[in-house]
Amino acid sequence: MAKRLIQRAHNRDGLPEIAVGLIFLFVGALSFAQALLPRESTGFMAAVLVLALVTPVLCIGAPQALKWVRRRYLIERVGYVESKPIGAKRMGMGIGLAVAVAVVAAVALFGAVTRFAQPDRWVLAGTGLLGGALAVLSGQLPRFVVGGVLMAVMGAVIAFSGVSLQIGFAMLFGFTGLLALVSGGVVFFRFMRQPAESGE
Amino acid sequence: MSTNIQQLAEVDRIIHEPARLMVVALLAAVKEADFQYLHQSTRLTKGNLSVHLSKLEEAGYVAIEKTFRGKYPLTMCRLTERGREVLDGYRRVIKAAL
Repeated sequence: MAKRLIQRAHNRDGLPEIAVGLIFLFVGALSFAQALLPRESTGFMAAVLVLALVTPVLCIGAPQALKWVRRRYLIERVGYVESKPIGAKRMGMGIGLAVAVAVVAAVALFGAVTRFAQPDRWVLAGTGLLGGALAVLSGQLPRFVVGGVLMAVMGAVIAFSGVSLQIGFAMLFGFTGLLALVSGGVVFFRFMRQPAESGE
Repeated sequence: MSTNIQQLAEVDRIIHEPARLMVVALLAAVKEADFQYLHQSTRLTKGNLSVHLSKLEEAGYVAIEKTFRGKYPLTMCRLTERGREVLDGYRRVIKAAL
């Protein structure tokens, strides 16, 4: 219960959604660039490299950036909290998730090589489902449940619409990123309109 | 079963009070938090929260440190080892009884 309260407090200013929205739009734009550019071009290679190298940095750096923004500009509104170091259980869950994603990717690759299935579809549907499930589990607020369900549904719809993997990713991440950005922006605007209480 | 029920009469009264239980449960889930964060999360009034924190501090369950971050006064609160033990004991008793 306390952890849920803390998670809700973490999401009440809308900043995590804004960060997720921006990262998703970035990934969507790079996927779209990959779909547009010729495979042998420098631009295509640059888009692949940026997607592979910059996105993990953004994902790892975003929580630190949020922490900095809150402490620098919003401390009077949100207060100050220092989280516990990541425990063995949570670390195990993270490793488990990474292994699951690696297994899905390996199965998709195996499918592509042996042609026993259409991996693009499964990768798109799996990404939508996994992203949606993560949003529902980590958000702890109704708007995250709605966003998660929409992402999962969108993933399935795009997967079976027959578009290429890159276009599919561009559509999925573009749609979800825009949704998160708008939702986070509205929440942030409303949060900032509340009068700040000062003093103890 | 009856032993478990009887144990309910011996639960720690300081932690048993709902507002204080809320504060202690929140502090158990983080390393430390400031007054404003607790105020925002619990929705207790500042006066009420202040009184409850004082009681928890007197009992040795919560450590309070007053500092500054720039011009912003920070009243940092964290659960002590004693507080954590008492919360664990409280949780065990309630779980066994219910």
